[in-house]
Amino acid sequence: MQYVDKWRAVAAATGAADRAEAEDGVRLAYRTAELSEPERIIWVDSPRAGVEAVRSLGDGTGRSVRHEVRTQPWAQERRRVHDELGPVGYAELWARTGARLWDTTRALSERIRTGIVESFARELVEESEVRSVLLDAVLGQHDAAWLAAFDGRSPRLEGLARVAEHTGWWWPHEKVTVICERPVELHRDEAGRLDRGDGPALAFPDGFALHAWRGMPVPAKFLSDLAHLTLERIRAEENAELRRVMLEYYGYDRYLEESGAQPVHRDETGVLWRIELDGDEPVVMVEVVNSTPEPDGSNRTYWLRVPPTTRTAKEGVAWTFGLNPDAYEPVTQT
Amino acid sequence: MYRQGDVLIMPVAEEAVPSHAADARSEPRDARGRMVLALGEVTGHAHAVTGRGRLVREAGPFGPMLLHLPEGGRVVHEEHAAIPLPKGWFRVVRQREYTPGAVRIVAD
Repeated sequence: MQYVDKWRAVAAATGAADRAEAEDGVRLAYRTAELSEPERIIWVDSPRAGVEAVRSLGDGTGRSVRHEVRTQPWAQERRRVHDELGPVGYAELWARTGARLWDTTRALSERIRTGIVESFARELVEESEVRSVLLDAVLGQHDAAWLAAFDGRSPRLEGLARVAEHTGWWWPHEKVTVICERPVELHRDEAGRLDRGDGPALAFPDGFALHAWRGMPVPAKFLSDLAHLTLERIRAEENAELRRVMLEYYGYDRYLEESGAQPVHRDETGVLWRIELDGDEPVVMVEVVNSTPEPDGSNRTYWLRVPPTTRTAKEGVAWTFGLNPDAYEPVTQT
Repeated sequence: MYRQGDVLIMPVAEEAVPSHAADARSEPRDARGRMVLALGEVTGHAHAVTGRGRLVREAGPFGPMLLHLPEGGRVVHEEHAAIPLPKGWFRVVRQREYTPGAVRIVAD
């Protein structure tokens, strides 16, 4: 567990890199791979700038040594640990370490890749060219999942681990290593998806940024307009996903109140609301009250969207737990 | 049946416990020795059970899970009042929310 917590923090770390530690890690990784240390280490402010730097340096960097520095030692350590623990033991090791970080870190690095490719599309750079540079990147902090699995048992991965603990993506080449700063902003929801309503969910020091609401990529302009939403603007939005974001941002409670919505049903579990939308399925929600009081003594009210076929508040609350209304009978709620 | 925030804990009769549950691998406890029913990825707040027993994951990253408490226990959370649980088997279900075309997990 301690490795998972440590590497979860590494994957989510923001702020300036510890450049001296990261550079030591790079040199150690080259030495471990029995390569000469790079002649030069170039720092850039985002993975996007990293792609730019690798492209502009061209042949001056020498060939990519990602295979020797990262892929090969990782594969060999995986085989060694697998042989040592057996297939069951290895599966258990992965389940309690790397598997717990895999989905969220992979989703994040994939979003960064997509964002980089899109940003170059505006400059008319071939997508395949950008993707091939991205394939040569070592993901630093975003390699947290597999570094968590081998932490404490694979000294030969120490260089890679040290870079990851202190900074972000990097490109190992024969003569030159290009290495990126970490993000300055990273905002995610409880499920680990990029999520922010009033600015970029991920931003690097040079301004390269991704905007997202509950994981859904949205244009920066869309977010800046959220602060000036009106009932009419929400109703006029034709994209159902964007309209949902607008409703969530505006607040279902405020929308219900201002649009004069009437409760459809009320019982001991809460209140059922329904908003009809032109050309889309209605929004049906249960309003429920948190049973544990807040520090100020008030009880927080919240809304959960339920299927449009829901007819009673209890049916809605039961649905959120996958139950039929008859089966939902909590004796204690907090 | 007990509800703590977005987690529902339902008693399961002994004879209704799936036969494979007895041999299934237990979920590891956290650094404080607790069985974690649900963990907030960002806040680190957890619905967790103290006491003797085991937690078995049935399917998927968000459960359902089976909880066995041979002597009873207590489910705790940073923002909710603790709930004492009697001894026995339980099914643990995480609350979900409807979104058109998909269903997502609620997190509190």
